[in-house]
Amino acid sequence: MRKRRLALLLAGLTLASTALAADGDRWTLPVAVKKLDNGLTVVVSEDHSSPTVGISVVYHVGMRLEPKNRTGFAHLFEHLMFEGTPNAKEGVFDRVITGGGGRNNGSTRADFTNYIEVAPVSALEPILWLEADRMKTLDFNPVTLKNQQDVVKEEIRVNVKNQPYGGFMWIDIGQHAFEKWENNHDGYGSFQDLENANLKDVAAFHRDYYGPNNAVLGIAGDIAPAEAFALAEKYFGGIPSRPAPPAPDYREGLNTKEKRVTQSDALAQVPAIAAAWKMPDRGSADQAPMAVLGALLAEGDASRFYQGIVKGRELALNVEALYGLTDPWTYDGPTLFTVFALYKPDTNADAVLKAMDEEIAKVAEQGVDEATLKRVKTRMLADWYNGIESFINRADTLAKLQTLWGDAATVNKIPGWIEGVSSADLQRVARTYLTVPNRTVIDRKPAAMLAPAAKKPE
Amino acid sequence: MAIRIATLALSVSLVLCGAAVAGPKAELPKELPAYAPDRPLPVPQIAQKRLANGLQVWVIPRQGLPRVDYTLAVRNAGFAADAADAPGFASLYAGLLSEGTAKRDSKAIAEAAQGYGGSIGSNANNDGITVGANALPSMAAPMLELLAEVVRTPAFPEKEVKLAQANALQGLKAAEAQPGFKATRALLAATYGDHPYARVQQTEASIAAVTPERLRAEHARRFRPDHALLIVTGRIGADEGFKLAERAFGDWKNSGTASADTPAARRSASPAHVLIQRDGSVQSTVRLGRPAIPATDADYVPMQLAGTVLGGGFSSRVNQNLREAKGYTYGASAGLSAARAGGRVQAGADVRNEVTGAAIKEFFHEFERLGSEPVPAQELEDTKRYVAGGYLISNQLQYSVASQLANNWLVGLPPEFLGEYVPKIRAVDAAQVQAMAKKYYAPGDQSIIVVGDGKAVAEQLKTYGEFSAPAK
Repeated sequence: MRKRRLALLLAGLTLASTALAADGDRWTLPVAVKKLDNGLTVVVSEDHSSPTVGISVVYHVGMRLEPKNRTGFAHLFEHLMFEGTPNAKEGVFDRVITGGGGRNNGSTRADFTNYIEVAPVSALEPILWLEADRMKTLDFNPVTLKNQQDVVKEEIRVNVKNQPYGGFMWIDIGQHAFEKWENNHDGYGSFQDLENANLKDVAAFHRDYYGPNNAVLGIAGDIAPAEAFALAEKYFGGIPSRPAPPAPDYREGLNTKEKRVTQSDALAQVPAIAAAWKMPDRGSADQAPMAVLGALLAEGDASRFYQGIVKGRELALNVEALYGLTDPWTYDGPTLFTVFALYKPDTNADAVLKAMDEEIAKVAEQGVDEATLKRVKTRMLADWYNGIESFINRADTLAKLQTLWGDAATVNKIPGWIEGVSSADLQRVARTYLTVPNRTVIDRKPAAMLAPAAKKPE
Repeated sequence: MAIRIATLALSVSLVLCGAAVAGPKAELPKELPAYAPDRPLPVPQIAQKRLANGLQVWVIPRQGLPRVDYTLAVRNAGFAADAADAPGFASLYAGLLSEGTAKRDSKAIAEAAQGYGGSIGSNANNDGITVGANALPSMAAPMLELLAEVVRTPAFPEKEVKLAQANALQGLKAAEAQPGFKATRALLAATYGDHPYARVQQTEASIAAVTPERLRAEHARRFRPDHALLIVTGRIGADEGFKLAERAFGDWKNSGTASADTPAARRSASPAHVLIQRDGSVQSTVRLGRPAIPATDADYVPMQLAGTVLGGGFSSRVNQNLREAKGYTYGASAGLSAARAGGRVQAGADVRNEVTGAAIKEFFHEFERLGSEPVPAQELEDTKRYVAGGYLISNQLQYSVASQLANNWLVGLPPEFLGEYVPKIRAVDAAQVQAMAKKYYAPGDQSIIVVGDGKAVAEQLKTYGEFSAPAK
């Protein structure tokens, strides 16, 4: 229900947009969609420029819906999806894909879990067979569970515990910014919760969330839609749908009081800051303006933050923009626009925040001139195309947009939405979202900087 | 500098990934459909021309994505051209090329690129510098003009140089906190000794010694049309590409004395054992390696295949063993990295403290196994298909085709090599792979570098001999 309402809100924007780019700069992807009787939605985009094919199976479940006493479970489960089934034992999945010339991976985010492959088109049928096979059932056994618990713990060590900054700009920041458990717990999970996971949990999660009716299959590349639909029917058509539990209401409003946190980092040698603001809802009229505002402020060397903070005021070494764990278009619940920077030891978090606030205030008060707005939009348009160049990303983008927006053709609407954004829109979203009360800040300092002066070495 | 910091944030897109891994020995289910017949390997058609000043221009027209990509590669301009007391100079220099020209300041360059729907930037590697730019097709001409301006008239403004130095010093501090950075430095030194390929990381002294004058002098020495190749690819025809290249670069002239070719790197070294203390480390960053061969060596193709079997993908032997069988690590890899004047083999994994010694044991077990038994036919065939698939997959991407051609050219491989690579890989047999492993992966020849907490791991390393403990 949410999807329909929000898609309607945005429909008008396409019509209102004015021509921005030359025709030769345009790219419209063919998009064909079919829903099988068991609820599996299949999305196909045909392209014969390479004898390869990208495949993505997106399940509409992520970290928000994992059990409350099992933090990190959605991600651990993703690992187990590669560990075999009663039909195809451990090792088969990867042997068939790499031996067919392909690559594969998976990832877990707040609202979805995706499984992606790219391979010569000669390997398409075996890959579809394998994806359908693990949608039916897994090989639930204690050996692979224990092995993947160990692998996930090593993953957390390498990305979090043994790294300077430890991913605080994408893990910790959400724990402070959000109110509801679904949005604010650690999606990587505690070691204790990971260790407590058992085979019953694995079976229940697979039964509840990994049915065909809770999934989208995306295929892009060297295949015609009719042929792809027939293959989807052949391999997935016989899998019965399974009811998924209703999702709790995890919506939450904007924050009304600034949150500030200081963290000590035993491994870092340079201080860092992350400032995050809650984003507009997916599909709201503010989403496209927020995406353009994010690009204007924080994406690339021409951005206001880079020019104002790294260059002009010389306070920081870098400025990076993050949109939760995804991007400005593929989320379906509370998420953050986060700016991360390493700052210089002769300044402090307040000075960096003040500089950001000044740049935001300029937009909120004066808007942005036509030439700058056009430049930013041109680059965003190009970036959107760049992101769907590879078949694996093209299939995945289509499957994610179908899952979250209920409409894979959103892929061709986003350029128009970007073009439709006006200076007044940017002023409105800057005033609404990029406010101090809606902001959460983590100031991450090397332990040596926080230690009392007396303890410093001579 | 900006590039290295960016990787911190870029890593976000890779996190929470459950890489698939599984064994080559797994038995296939009866119901599994067979692979369809392979379609022919497409070979990029390259239109080639040399301008009067010696600049080579290659155009590869493509349909699809609305973008034109440019890559200008310059030989003998990278780390190998840096003075012994100026390690990492080339990366600071490459970064400063687009921070101001005779006509435009840094901000104007960034804004122009943004307005063309693209970006411009430079990158240093051992054998050269590449300057890359891309734009929407309607902006292809002005983007190439901007690239030429950056390449031909960089100004190295005092203020930008100072800022780049200050940021590089902080960036170096940030990098020193990462165990992989320290491990790489130690491994390169153990592999290459005092050859310039060992000196790719900046030092405080080398950053401090950079001046606008030195940058200008080095630019005259390093950037010359007769040392350069321009690759144009995307929605553009060959004639149009040559015309734009002639307009932007036709009157570019050589100046100064050319930088020299890089001397050959050594092909063997007595192995070093190094344990770098990192207080509170919960993992050991383990790296193994030795010198090997340049990209033009006759062993290059069979070595690529041997490296792929051993540690080149999710189903490679070391990843199967250390990750899937043992659960020691999130990922283990091994393989050959080759440059124009020499190359090296490297293997590594980040593993929890208590299995540091055991992880090295498993690496060496796989090195020895590859040298002592022929790779089974099915595994060899699967690996060759994996390599061929990789070729098809990367050739989907416009930028990737250009960058592979540029990199091949920098290391001395001809343009035809791109299309010949897969057939050459297919021709390698199991005996050759085994011979490569014997020659280059003998455990006794490998240096061992460990960055971690010595209190927790030193005892486990005793089997492998004495470990020195440098300060950095």
